[in-house]
Amino acid sequence: MKISAVEATEPRPPRSASFAGLFVLFSKIALSSFGGGVSAWMHAALVERRGWLDETEFWSALALARIMPGANIVNLAVLIGHRLIGFRGAVAAVAGILVGPSFIVVTAATLYRRFAGAMILDAVLAGAAASAAGLLIGMGLKSSSRIVRKGPASKGLTAHDVGTIAILVATFALIGVLRFPTAPTVLCLMPCSLGLAWFGARKRPMEREYDGG
Amino acid sequence: MEDSRTLVALLFVFVPLSLVSIGGGPAVFAEMQHQAVTVHGWVTQRQFVDLFAISRAAPGPGALLATLIGWQAAGWPGALVVSLAFFLPSSIVVYVAACFWNRLRGSTWHRAVEDGFVPIAAGLVLAGALAILQSGGTDPLAGVIALGVATCRLWRPNFHPLILLGLGASVFAFVRALV
Repeated sequence: MKISAVEATEPRPPRSASFAGLFVLFSKIALSSFGGGVSAWMHAALVERRGWLDETEFWSALALARIMPGANIVNLAVLIGHRLIGFRGAVAAVAGILVGPSFIVVTAATLYRRFAGAMILDAVLAGAAASAAGLLIGMGLKSSSRIVRKGPASKGLTAHDVGTIAILVATFALIGVLRFPTAPTVLCLMPCSLGLAWFGARKRPMEREYDGG
Repeated sequence: MEDSRTLVALLFVFVPLSLVSIGGGPAVFAEMQHQAVTVHGWVTQRQFVDLFAISRAAPGPGALLATLIGWQAAGWPGALVVSLAFFLPSSIVVYVAACFWNRLRGSTWHRAVEDGFVPIAAGLVLAGALAILQSGGTDPLAGVIALGVATCRLWRPNFHPLILLGLGASVFAFVRALV
């Protein structure tokens, strides 16, 4: 998907997105996400399908959502809703994420006692969680390839690309494998990543506009 | 008046938890458990573990565990009070941050910070996926299913994720039933 520089410098969020529309969209996203992985569903609906956010906007919002206080998904809904249509968007997105699933989860808790210990149910739920992890891995890997390769593919990996990969791998290793706490670890990695991005942003000020596809 | 006292107690437990839950809901689950089970006796240890499992498996954010505790403690009013107490304060903090952040849009600084966040976020998501896979003990079948779903996502992006989810869960349950 090639986007001309003129279009891309305009804010991409659609003015047509309404309060009710966002509420319904975020409800659908939340109600689809059996076993977790809500952010993968948001990415599929908002970045891949509708193109309302570009990769950088989505991923930076996701990082911010994870280091601020509050449930990650709710924070992400606040940030994306606000980015799309301001205050009303934030309210609609959060309500969509929470209202429907609240009823489902309470119903599930009521039914749980009746069916607790049913082996097949446990297996299906464990399978859904594993699949949700797969959705997250798919989103992470697909976007990583776009995130890293900012320049034309023919140029091969630049020093900047290698630095980006190193930060991605370090984040995964420290928090995923070694189980360091998220917020302090991110705050320690951020200066390195920021330095790298600062260098990249100054060197190629227009690059951002072309990395949508 | 027992009920309204419970609601106030829920408020006093969950508002502070909301504001200190840096890194997400799981960061305060241990304290939530301590308060709900040991201090106030709203749920038993066994119930807490069940509610945790339900909130993870059901659609929506896993942090709905808080809502479930409120529901268990004081019915629907409890669920409503806890939802507001746990999700509203942190959301206001994030909203205010978003407003400030948006004002800087267009500056080189803003772009550099956004760009800088991106590889970290991708690493965090992969770490989160690993945490989900390890939460049920290390199960090779879960890993195989996850990698299968991830491969399908990369190979056929237009395939609806809900179909993949259903397929993944069915295959997992089928294999478990056989072995």
